[in-house]
Amino acid sequence: MELYRLSASEIVNGVKTGAFTCTDVVKSCLGRIKEKEGDIHAMLYVAEDAAIKRAAEIDAEIAEGRDPGPLAGVPVIVKDNICTADMPTTCASRILEDWVPPYDATVVIALKNAGAVIIGKANCDEFAMGGSTEHSAYGPTMNPWDYTCVPGGSSGGSAAAVAAGYAPLALGSDTGGSIRQPAAFCGIYGMKPTYGQVSRYGLVAFASSLDQIGPFARSSEDMRLIMSVLCGFDPHDSTSENRTVPNFCKNDSVLKGKKIGVLTKLVEGKLSPDLQASMDAQIDNCRKLGAEIVEVSLPKALEYGMACYYILAPAEASSNLARYDGVRYGMAYKDAHSLLDLYVKTRAAGFGPEVKRRILTGTYVLSSGFYDAYYLTAQKVRKVIKQEFAQAFTQVDAILLPASPTPAFKLGAMSSPLEMYMADVFTIPVNLAGLPGISYNTGFNSEGLPLGMQLIGPRWSDAMLLEMAATLGKDSEGKIAEGGVR
Amino acid sequence: MALEFTTVIGLEIHIQLNTKTKIFCGCSTDYIGAVPNSHVCPVCTGQPGALPVLNKKVVEYGVRGGMALHCKINKLTRFDRKNYFYADLPKAYQITEYYVPIAEGGYLTITGDDGKPHRIGITRLHLEEDAGKLVHGAADGRIVGSVQSFVDYNRGGVPLAEVVSEPDITSPREAREYVSAMRQLVRYLGISDGDMEKGSMRVDANISQKVSDGRWGNRVEVKNMNSLKALERALEYETLRQRDLLTRGETIAQETRNWDDADGITTPSRSKEESNDYRYFPEPDLPPLLLDDEYIEHIRATMPELPDAKRERFLSQYGLPYEDVLVLTETPELANYYESVVKAECNPVRASNWIRTDVMRVLKEQNQDITSAPIAPDVLAQLIRLVDDKKISTTAAKDVFEKIVQNKITLEEAIKVCGVQIGAVEGDKLAGIISAVANANQDVVEVIRSGQDKKDKKLKFLMGLVMKESRGQAKPDEVLKALSEFFSKN
Repeated sequence: MELYRLSASEIVNGVKTGAFTCTDVVKSCLGRIKEKEGDIHAMLYVAEDAAIKRAAEIDAEIAEGRDPGPLAGVPVIVKDNICTADMPTTCASRILEDWVPPYDATVVIALKNAGAVIIGKANCDEFAMGGSTEHSAYGPTMNPWDYTCVPGGSSGGSAAAVAAGYAPLALGSDTGGSIRQPAAFCGIYGMKPTYGQVSRYGLVAFASSLDQIGPFARSSEDMRLIMSVLCGFDPHDSTSENRTVPNFCKNDSVLKGKKIGVLTKLVEGKLSPDLQASMDAQIDNCRKLGAEIVEVSLPKALEYGMACYYILAPAEASSNLARYDGVRYGMAYKDAHSLLDLYVKTRAAGFGPEVKRRILTGTYVLSSGFYDAYYLTAQKVRKVIKQEFAQAFTQVDAILLPASPTPAFKLGAMSSPLEMYMADVFTIPVNLAGLPGISYNTGFNSEGLPLGMQLIGPRWSDAMLLEMAATLGKDSEGKIAEGGVR
Repeated sequence: MALEFTTVIGLEIHIQLNTKTKIFCGCSTDYIGAVPNSHVCPVCTGQPGALPVLNKKVVEYGVRGGMALHCKINKLTRFDRKNYFYADLPKAYQITEYYVPIAEGGYLTITGDDGKPHRIGITRLHLEEDAGKLVHGAADGRIVGSVQSFVDYNRGGVPLAEVVSEPDITSPREAREYVSAMRQLVRYLGISDGDMEKGSMRVDANISQKVSDGRWGNRVEVKNMNSLKALERALEYETLRQRDLLTRGETIAQETRNWDDADGITTPSRSKEESNDYRYFPEPDLPPLLLDDEYIEHIRATMPELPDAKRERFLSQYGLPYEDVLVLTETPELANYYESVVKAECNPVRASNWIRTDVMRVLKEQNQDITSAPIAPDVLAQLIRLVDDKKISTTAAKDVFEKIVQNKITLEEAIKVCGVQIGAVEGDKLAGIISAVANANQDVVEVIRSGQDKKDKKLKFLMGLVMKESRGQAKPDEVLKALSEFFSKN
């Protein structure tokens, strides 16, 4: 069997026992990238030489009898909005073309310290703004199950890379569903941890109060491995919480006696038939595994979450993205005749249309005279949504929802920004409330496209949530996309 | 009827807090004279993905400043983003406390123009980060005529406390008094060096005129005043300019003007007055700051004695005149020195005199401050005690003081070098000096003996010589008595 097909835990075992070397694994993954990348375009940078060099170091460590760590020899792909000191970090934007950060993100350091080999940077929507990876300045990523479909977004490159066998693990970021939706579209696990669980230091900010880094994997065991490495307090991130790292260990009977919330009435009619059928099957499955199904209601979250999000996220983004002015890093318009000219020409040429749209929206809602009506109102709504979830979690242990109303859609199918935004209706409230959420694969539709479900839990229930997803997803996990056009 | 004017001034002071590290990162704040961009990191240069972490010391200094200004301390405060584009602002937003400052609603007492205490209201004190510095390529460092500009982020992220006053200041002199009092306060608190020349205290003034006929002149903001003197001069100039315009019935343009210290005038700021919309909103990268009662009480309990209280205490405890107290409490270091001298057991009034005249003169000559005092407090106290106990004369003591200061020697050594005899010159010793003086001045002695010294002029001359010989350590009445004994015997 080709080594790229292995899970992270199998790789760790293999390199530690000497069944194969880390170099073998890395070369196999790099070969897989070469084989598929022409069709998928999941990568913005492949660190071929650096990865092979790092693999040799890991092999040497093992040969000397040292333990490189819990991710010994595992190739990992990192979304291109997470800073890497030895690779460009473009955020899929022209404005950061060729920019190499002066530092590693905290999660990148954690991966390296755990023995992982970062083999490259994944495509995404520009500055993580989008739900299809079509808004990358360097061209879209194709869904590895069907090249005519999108992989979802914004972490579409990371999800596609893991599904296609480029690496067993990848990092993404989730501001309004950007991990959970592409994981669902690509048939793998994708988790957005509780806000504050994983350091954001080195994640290029889109909307600081909503952003969270999380992993993708094809197997639940790999999710446990990487979550154990990523979680933890970081003194460089004031929003990360100083608490004990959860114990991510296998628990097949996690659903026994648990109450799982569903939103039948609110979801009905909003789902494509294949996802509705999958949803029904999952409910049956939960019952079979000993859980009680409880109808819950989140009217405000689902009705106002979208509007609330599209005020707060652009507001924060308009401020976070103001620093790209051509003065310190990234693109700079060369023939500017004044400071203002430098700003205007650099930003006009450097940002894509979706980013500009959100900067404009954000600037507008923060303007004096509009602040109270938009930003403050949205903050109040956010509080209400948090309370609504808190109330729901007094009745249930977790909530089962699709990650998206449909499976992966065709490239170019979303004709208006609003239509694209609506696709995030099930994922956005989770970010607003700072909750953990996980997507897992439940199978495939008649066209061979993955169907994904989402579980949402109360804050700090990450470990339980992962076990629920692992239990429900175990029969359909681990598949590698072979691609094609349907 | 001639118009009468009232000047109305409000000041905004940016005070650089002297913490070791910057407000949101671990970079050193000791940037003066450093190589440009050598005190920087991903956080204070606004690299993508970098996040701020609040320096707790800055909060403590803010609370101390607020308490010293009699402000209410807000237990729940938070930082906001002030968004605007400028090359010295790396994130394109400044992190500041806009909506809820850490302290608000206090006052600072100054000596008003009428000589009485005048309370200047403090609107707020809030914490924020400093910006970097632009250096322009023109020969004079200005932007005009330069083809390139450079930016140095060493200052970016240095903590600032901005103190905004109410428009309670009524003259340029009061403005100077207020800034001077503020500087003294921050030095007492040890939270800033308060140095205007170095830019660690930067003052912007809002000044307008109220006219007796009911008119109000527009408010003008004056910037670029880099010393107390410049502040006073700028506001005096601006007062005259505004009054002149109002007298001629003209209106005052509401604008920002820069003080030109060389020409002694203010000129309209070249950067056109943009009505900036800063789009303030809460900084999502920093959680709200909650100060509990225990913390606030701890700060209150560890507040140093402040200038007002120290002055009151010096007046009552040491019985010094007010002018002396003002001098001695100028800095906490000087006050401490004074008290160390007094504690080493000597007369407080004389200690004050010695310090204000001799010690401070030497410091001025040596261009030093009291932290490098030329004489240790206990030595000075000993010297003063010798005089008080009439062991040595004041004149001798001054000699000894000079020797200690100039030659850096001990009190004992100095006394020896000066040839001073410890204890009064009297009895046989005095008699010996008198006969020596008489031998050397036989003619004078003859005049006195002949009874021609009607007005005792010659006697006083001899007495002066004896005093000189005794290095002032003989008592005049004793000398007189001994002299008359001398003449009656012989």
